[in-house]
Amino acid sequence: MRVIIVDDEDLARGIVREYLASHLDIRIVGECSNGFDAVKAITESKPDLLFLDIQMPKLNGFEVLDLLDPRPRVIFVTAYDSYAIKAFEVNAIDYLLKPFSRERFEKALLRVAGKEGDEPQDAVDNLIRSNRSLNAPIERILVRDGSRVHVIPSPMVDHIEAQDDYVSIHSGGKKYLKLERLSDLEAALDPKRFVRIHRSHIVNIERLVRLETYAKDSRIVVLNDGTKLPVSRPGYEKLKGLL
Amino acid sequence: MHPILKDRRTLALYLLAWLAPGLTLATLMATTAKAPWGGAICFSLPAMIVYAFMSLSSWYVCRAFPLPGTDLAKTLSSLFFAALLSSALWLLACYAWASALEWMQPGLAPRERYMDSLPLLASFGVGLFLIAAAVHYLIESLESARRTERNALELQVLARDAELKALRAQIDPHFLFNSLNSISALTSTDAAAARTMTLMLADFLRMSMNFGGLEMIRLEQEIALVRHFLEIEKVRFGNRLVVQTEIGAGTLSARVPPLLLQPLVENAVNHGIAQIPDGGHLLLRTESDGGSLRILIRNPVDPGRTKPRGRGMGLTIVRRRIERLYGSGGNLDVQETGGNFVAVLTIPHQV
Repeated sequence: MRVIIVDDEDLARGIVREYLASHLDIRIVGECSNGFDAVKAITESKPDLLFLDIQMPKLNGFEVLDLLDPRPRVIFVTAYDSYAIKAFEVNAIDYLLKPFSRERFEKALLRVAGKEGDEPQDAVDNLIRSNRSLNAPIERILVRDGSRVHVIPSPMVDHIEAQDDYVSIHSGGKKYLKLERLSDLEAALDPKRFVRIHRSHIVNIERLVRLETYAKDSRIVVLNDGTKLPVSRPGYEKLKGLL
Repeated sequence: MHPILKDRRTLALYLLAWLAPGLTLATLMATTAKAPWGGAICFSLPAMIVYAFMSLSSWYVCRAFPLPGTDLAKTLSSLFFAALLSSALWLLACYAWASALEWMQPGLAPRERYMDSLPLLASFGVGLFLIAAAVHYLIESLESARRTERNALELQVLARDAELKALRAQIDPHFLFNSLNSISALTSTDAAAARTMTLMLADFLRMSMNFGGLEMIRLEQEIALVRHFLEIEKVRFGNRLVVQTEIGAGTLSARVPPLLLQPLVENAVNHGIAQIPDGGHLLLRTESDGGSLRILIRNPVDPGRTKPRGRGMGLTIVRRRIERLYGSGGNLDVQETGGNFVAVLTIPHQV
């Protein structure tokens, strides 16, 4: 089994390393001390198992998982994070509390090794979703591009367009593709700033220059970079309410 | 304790007030019962003093039948019965006093007059007892209002003390468990370092607990606590955490409330250094112009960081404490400039 250890503290990674040393069938293929490095290392070396700390610089453990596709199996490790612990309990996910004994560590390892297939993935999905809703309205959008992570601060987003299973996020003339539903993103963004003007469009109202009406239900908005976007009837009602 | 008997001034006032019915009684006896003035006064004033003391017993009726909460009819009938009883006892006492007076000064013939004034004395006895009861009810209600007010104040003070104690004694569990994890990791790789860390952690906890019970400590003690904290965090963060302290002349002996600096330094590490992959410099500077003590804490922050969840209470708590302790004389100013977070605490320099 190939393993990556993610923790921002040297000593905390050390103890996992020490406990793993007696497992000859386990190989540590990477150690990361922050969220960005973790996403990169995991995307590149595709480990089978992850030891993942929750509180880390740049991205927390949940955000790291949110960016991974496919996700390896995970053993969560945390010292004290009442929110995370509650989320683990609710979703019946095993986790290690620092400091942990070798016996406890072996138990967690055994449990993860025994779980084949996608059964625990639903629970992890729930975990990620509840982390998202906790952070709403989000201050930044995270996009993975290969093994790189782009962080787009919400105010820098101009508009967002649905494209099949993806959303394309337009910011400062650049375009970022993210595997996510437009409605999920709409729910996560600050509703005072971002408006769903159309089935497949969300716009940052601070980029709005004008609204043009061609016929009763045919309207478009023009953004400050000249982009023109269609406005649906419910979208128009929402815009009217905000402007 | 009886509210009138408990201090001499109240008792003197109370007895003085009884002069009025005493004189009234003497006048009535002199005019309606045609008693000689001297005899009427000699009889009625001492009789009134005796009844003044007897009427003090109405307080026990007030206590037994507090006004709100008891059946009014029952209260009134009990009062009336008590008035009749005490008045009857008083009449007996009056008779004895009249007999004694007659024996001493037969010329004044008060016993005869006394027999003439029997209805007058009886109505005085009942009426005055009821008035005394009303006065006692009034005193009781004033007292109880004052008691309620005092209790409320006491509760407020207690709540404030408890709150302050709780605020002071908070040790970040995240810090504690991470430190224990570091010790656990060190035991197999560097036992000596594990021991050092254990001792530092023990010192830190002991200091925090001791300080929590004190009103004021010297800044030197708080700085020692903060240094222990930072030494422990250095073991966790390695070379990500670099600490620089600049202690101003004369500041170490200043008296400061305990554990005021600690949460600010904790914030600087948790929200600043810990969120940056490469860490950074933490600056702690103290200075004084004799009048006010200024403590500055500066740490780099990650510009792209998100709000920390469930924390960030540190600043609020420090603000509330200095507001309680110094009013407008203390201040905590925080600002973020050029990738740095700066907290400046200003409080009066007390020696």
